[in-house]
Amino acid sequence: MIAELGHLLTVLAFGLTLLAAYHGFSGRDELAARAMGLSAVAAIFGLVALVMAFIRSDFSVELVARHSHSLKPFFYKIAGAWGNHEGSMLLWCVIMLGYGAIAGAVMAPGRLKARALGVQGALAALSLAYLLFASSPFTRLADPPLDGNGLNPLLQDPALAFHPPFLYLGYVGFSFVFSIAAAGLIEGQVGREWARRVRPWALFAWSALTIGISLGAIWAYYELGWGGWWFWDPVENASFMPWLVGAALVHSLIVTQKRGSMAAWTVLLAVLTFCLSILGAFLVRSGVLTSVHAFALDPERGALLLAGLVIVGVFALGLYAWRAPKLEAGPVFDPISREGALILNNLFLSVAAATVLVGTLYPLVVEAVSGEKISVGSPYFDMTLAPLMAILFLAPPAAQSFAWRKADLTPVLKRLIIAGALAIAAAGATFILLAGKLWAVLGVAIGVWLIAGTITDLLRRIGGGGVARAFALSASIWGMTIAHIGLGVFVIGASVEVNGRVERTFALMPGETAELDNWTFTFNGVQSDEGPNYFSQVADITAVKGRREMQLAPQKRFYPAAGMPTTEVAIRKSLTGDLYVALGDEVRGRPGAWTLRVSFNPMIDWVFGGAGLIALGGFMAFASKRLRQRVEVDDPITVEPDLVAEPAE
Amino acid sequence: MKFLAALIIPLIMAAGSVDQPLDDPQAEARAQALMREIRCVACENEPISQSASEIARDMRKVVRDQIAEGQSDAEVRDWFAQRYGDFVLFRPKTDGGGVFLWMFPFALLIYAAVMLFLMMRSRARTARSGLSPIDADEEN
Repeated sequence: MIAELGHLLTVLAFGLTLLAAYHGFSGRDELAARAMGLSAVAAIFGLVALVMAFIRSDFSVELVARHSHSLKPFFYKIAGAWGNHEGSMLLWCVIMLGYGAIAGAVMAPGRLKARALGVQGALAALSLAYLLFASSPFTRLADPPLDGNGLNPLLQDPALAFHPPFLYLGYVGFSFVFSIAAAGLIEGQVGREWARRVRPWALFAWSALTIGISLGAIWAYYELGWGGWWFWDPVENASFMPWLVGAALVHSLIVTQKRGSMAAWTVLLAVLTFCLSILGAFLVRSGVLTSVHAFALDPERGALLLAGLVIVGVFALGLYAWRAPKLEAGPVFDPISREGALILNNLFLSVAAATVLVGTLYPLVVEAVSGEKISVGSPYFDMTLAPLMAILFLAPPAAQSFAWRKADLTPVLKRLIIAGALAIAAAGATFILLAGKLWAVLGVAIGVWLIAGTITDLLRRIGGGGVARAFALSASIWGMTIAHIGLGVFVIGASVEVNGRVERTFALMPGETAELDNWTFTFNGVQSDEGPNYFSQVADITAVKGRREMQLAPQKRFYPAAGMPTTEVAIRKSLTGDLYVALGDEVRGRPGAWTLRVSFNPMIDWVFGGAGLIALGGFMAFASKRLRQRVEVDDPITVEPDLVAEPAE
Repeated sequence: MKFLAALIIPLIMAAGSVDQPLDDPQAEARAQALMREIRCVACENEPISQSASEIARDMRKVVRDQIAEGQSDAEVRDWFAQRYGDFVLFRPKTDGGGVFLWMFPFALLIYAAVMLFLMMRSRARTARSGLSPIDADEEN
């Protein structure tokens, strides 16, 4: 019964989204909001029905039979509901309707709201149609099996249980940014007040996407057993493109809101971010790219997703071509100004996004044209993006204290002398500690510059006002400060980790020892063990460095229900980084000998911590009360006092 | 006892290490850099530096052997491309269509920067000639 109920509820949700779209396009915002709200409730209960089917292990539902197992831990039965294609599409629809329902409740009434809900309703109707007709999660089996296939054991992991929801909060959050952008174009209302109303949605979606991508990276780091956290895998690139364009968007929205400039460009970014999210879904689900993530591939669904992308893209770009030329250019500004700096930010982030797009699709094009299979991997992305980002990251410390319209560079740079000196000192220290690793030296210098420069700017804003003034600064200033410090932390961590990582593989008999980076490892053998739904082989390793001694127990697990092995690495954290040991295979021809992959990953926590700070900063800016205050049409184009650089002393 | 350990441990390590590093640290660093950009042919999207599979281990040995024989990085890459196809190299080639790929980011950056500069200059001129005052009305 529960599956039929779920199916019925999603059909109901589909009908209600059509109603919401109809009312929205007819300009009846209240009715559209009500239909959207009901549709969201129906879809949420549809998802609850699916989760119930997973909790009860109802194997007469095909999806449950394929992706769950009676012995699976309770938590993963729930998470298993969206750990597959159909369930994740239902989650996509629920989140899209959720954003629509919240918008219906909180947006100020008017035509912009009606149109935005209309577009959101149409997008949700497309998504639900795809769900119902091409990937229904509620299909029954005539002949239910006694037990299920089990969730892909790689996905049976806490980080990955939350990875899809956050990723979708991001991807799909940009659907509402898209909807307000389209509504603004239809209504000819793309201006300062429009930008003010888009910003919270863009900030929230982008921050959630940051968390979603980070959770995926953390998972890859400890679950795949390779010791890395980012591989320039096509599917990672698919999520990174909307992230980069989203980052450009949250910056350009500031210019449009505060100054009324760059409106045409901002609305283009707002539309493109969601198009890239759909492109991401297409690349992941269609299987056109060779990818380690490709656990749910289906060419026919890929074709449908591509069709959806074309519909949305043609609609948006057509609307843009029609309306954008009429948008006002806004006041003129000097290249050295807050506007100029934010344009620089957008220039580099857009070129970076275009580079990731071209690099990801290039092998497809070459194969289509010449039939040759080639790869574009980390050497390409590292060597093209690292210089771009290195130049871009020099800007924030100075740009944060630029005045609008025309900034005086000299006092700004004078204030940053200490930050610059700290950066050079840190570079020198890195040069001594990691001799010869020039990218690490450069990365540390840039990271310290970002952190010290951002703190310098914060102190300028606080001035002599002390703690009271610090608390009085708006949440968006704090958000920017924390996100830019987070970026610095990330850059330091990433460049030291990638360039300073030491790794080796050994094949050891019990009792043998090996050495890496002043650590001595003794392999004491492997024992068999058993978990709730897996068998494991657990290695016993003693690691000694000076007076420190620790026991490590990396495992290999085998999940009989899915017929898949996984690695469970052993990680020991210290202030300087992670000692990381993965158990490989038993060596053929040498019974009792096992391969071990041992690495030391310096400053790895800075990578994830920095990403976390970036997301936190985004959420803080989202929470800023200032974004809730209307921009009146006749407001002078000025800004809040703490956003304006004080004149030179 | 310590003397004995100093004598024996390197011997054990020589037997135990699957990946015997090259004696010359610079050659070893080059070999490791190459291993990070050659695809393990039995795995999905994994360089041979990271894979625990046997073929990856053999491929790593080939890289070290060739470096030890004095081959250049390009020669090692060519050897793998000849044997397994260009798909095996994560670093796309710089000839033919690869020129477009490698130049694209920088060409786009320069093009966009020049366009931006021209746009801002023409707008500044228009403003100065008095066609549109600096604080234009923001009716939108």
